[in-house]
Amino acid sequence: MARIELQNLRKEFGRSVVAVKDLSLTIEDGEFLVMVGPSGCGKTTTLRMIAGFEDPSSGEIRMDGATVNELEPGDRNLGMVFQSHALFPHKTVAQNIEFGPRMQKIEPETRRRRVREVAEMVRIAHLLDKMPGQCSGGESQRVALARTLITEPDTFLLDEPLSSLDAKLRREMRAEVDRLHQELGKTFIYVTHDQEEAMTLADRIVVMRAGEIEQVGTPLEIYSDPVSLFVADFFGSPSMNLIPGTIEKSDGDVVFRNARTSISLPPAFSGAEPGPGTLGIRPEHLTVGTEGELVEKIHLVEPLGKDTLLYFDYGGEDDLIAIVDGVSSYRAGTELGIRFTPEHLFLFHESGRRIGRAG
Amino acid sequence: MAMSRARKKTVFEVGRYTILVIWLLIVAFPMFWVISTSFKPDHEWFAWPPVYWSQEPTLNNYLNVWTDYSEYEDTQYIKSLQKPWIALRNSLIISLTSTFLAVGFGAILAYGVSRYRILSETRMFQLLMLRMVPPIVVVAPLSLYYSTLGLLDTVIGLVIVYFLTTLPYAVWMTKSFIDEVPREVEQAAMILGASRWRTIWEVVLPLVRSGLVATFLFILILTWSEYLLALILSKTEVVTLPVELSKYEGSTEGRVYGRQAALAVGVTIPLVIIGVFIRKHLARGFSFGMVRR
Repeated sequence: MARIELQNLRKEFGRSVVAVKDLSLTIEDGEFLVMVGPSGCGKTTTLRMIAGFEDPSSGEIRMDGATVNELEPGDRNLGMVFQSHALFPHKTVAQNIEFGPRMQKIEPETRRRRVREVAEMVRIAHLLDKMPGQCSGGESQRVALARTLITEPDTFLLDEPLSSLDAKLRREMRAEVDRLHQELGKTFIYVTHDQEEAMTLADRIVVMRAGEIEQVGTPLEIYSDPVSLFVADFFGSPSMNLIPGTIEKSDGDVVFRNARTSISLPPAFSGAEPGPGTLGIRPEHLTVGTEGELVEKIHLVEPLGKDTLLYFDYGGEDDLIAIVDGVSSYRAGTELGIRFTPEHLFLFHESGRRIGRAG
Repeated sequence: MAMSRARKKTVFEVGRYTILVIWLLIVAFPMFWVISTSFKPDHEWFAWPPVYWSQEPTLNNYLNVWTDYSEYEDTQYIKSLQKPWIALRNSLIISLTSTFLAVGFGAILAYGVSRYRILSETRMFQLLMLRMVPPIVVVAPLSLYYSTLGLLDTVIGLVIVYFLTTLPYAVWMTKSFIDEVPREVEQAAMILGASRWRTIWEVVLPLVRSGLVATFLFILILTWSEYLLALILSKTEVVTLPVELSKYEGSTEGRVYGRQAALAVGVTIPLVIIGVFIRKHLARGFSFGMVRR
């Protein structure tokens, strides 16, 4: 059992830096929670406070109801996997894995048996006599997992565990982490800056920004119902098209206008105040054809195999991106009409706050 | 016409080795001269033209310095300064004790600086700057303090002064090694249930061992060959090897070069022996920041 409650957690470094601002969050037992955000958003600091490596400046950390602020990291029944793996370089893989049980003064006999079991669980039994320096990145990560698994912690803390691996290995290990979570049924708290990892692994995602929680929700909620421009922009690959312009009202109709186009918005946005704003739409919700709200030349064609990305330079800061299925016959320079699916439009206030709901 | 690349490279290599060989000769010649002189009989010490390889090599210098033997039955002219074994013992006690203390305390301090920032960057710099003060500046007031405290001419007096003067080096050197040990490795140990001390013992120490050994040898060489402080803070009771060495060349004794050379070889040998024993660590330790990963 491990239900972790964070209450008004705050961390200041020195007088001027506030890394985490009054964060409150409850992590349910057995949940896979992913904390995601750009670097410096406070996600790692939060994890380190849960681990006990940083003392909160104020606020409380409770595990199953009991306050653990004063407990040493080793007494919180946690397991942690670090970005750098943090294996003991002078000990063999077996000794690395055995370290936890040895600290718990478990019989050598039992220890050796457990080491073997855990090594088999993460498929590194053949590495036991090697030194960490002889292991590849993926193997090291498995050793780090094994070293954590053997102590049977209630909660696993994973601090960007996959970011030092290459893309293929990262996908493999992601599946491995997912499998472990399902097999063990323990609480996982996973920190990453990679939105894709967050989307694929999480039961719930916590999006952090500048020391505060921006949004908490299931991956689907975060993707389809972002509360702000920041969240909308952070999730999805390629990311959401964001078009700056102004919101105007005439005869009760709401119109979004910029230098190239004007799009009349569905009634759901009728509450929007006139003024500067940003229109958002995901690449998969743009359709291209002979006509549309916007007529632009293709600037770049990017075939991905399964589908193709079309880039349009519409005069904004970033290109407008549309996805079409399969290998496209379109060539750069072709003029195309672009249609915005009205029910998939997002509208954001100048401050980044989301306005209205279309879908 | 421009030189071909291969030719340029050859010229460069020839130049490089020429410089290295000249440098080697400059560095190695005094060592050769000391060793060679230590085997020369009296009349070859001052001979002109100089004698490079002794015509009548002898062990008399060594016997004379390190044992009671004397080829001149009736004269005891250098007996007065024959205390090399006592000086060796003093040197060993003083150097080893002060070096152990400096490296031990230095490492603890360095750990604090590295992990808890107990000294700011400025303070660390000041610590080193403090050591830049030439010893001659402090030696006069120090000898006054020492005479009041009764530390003059004592082993403990020299241990204290060597410990304090080498501590900054020890802190700086060991800190560079401790800095190389990732904090995450320590945290991994702690979250697995190891106490802070257990972590230091099981994780940090093994990783900085080579660095500590290198620091140890560096400071041992400093204290082993220190002359100025030893000369002024000791009088007759506690003579260290460098001071003993200087006595072979004085107004009363004359210049007994052969004996001095024999003593000098003896002074160097312990360092060589220690160096051979720990050479495995030295290679790793002196290539700073190369902690095994």
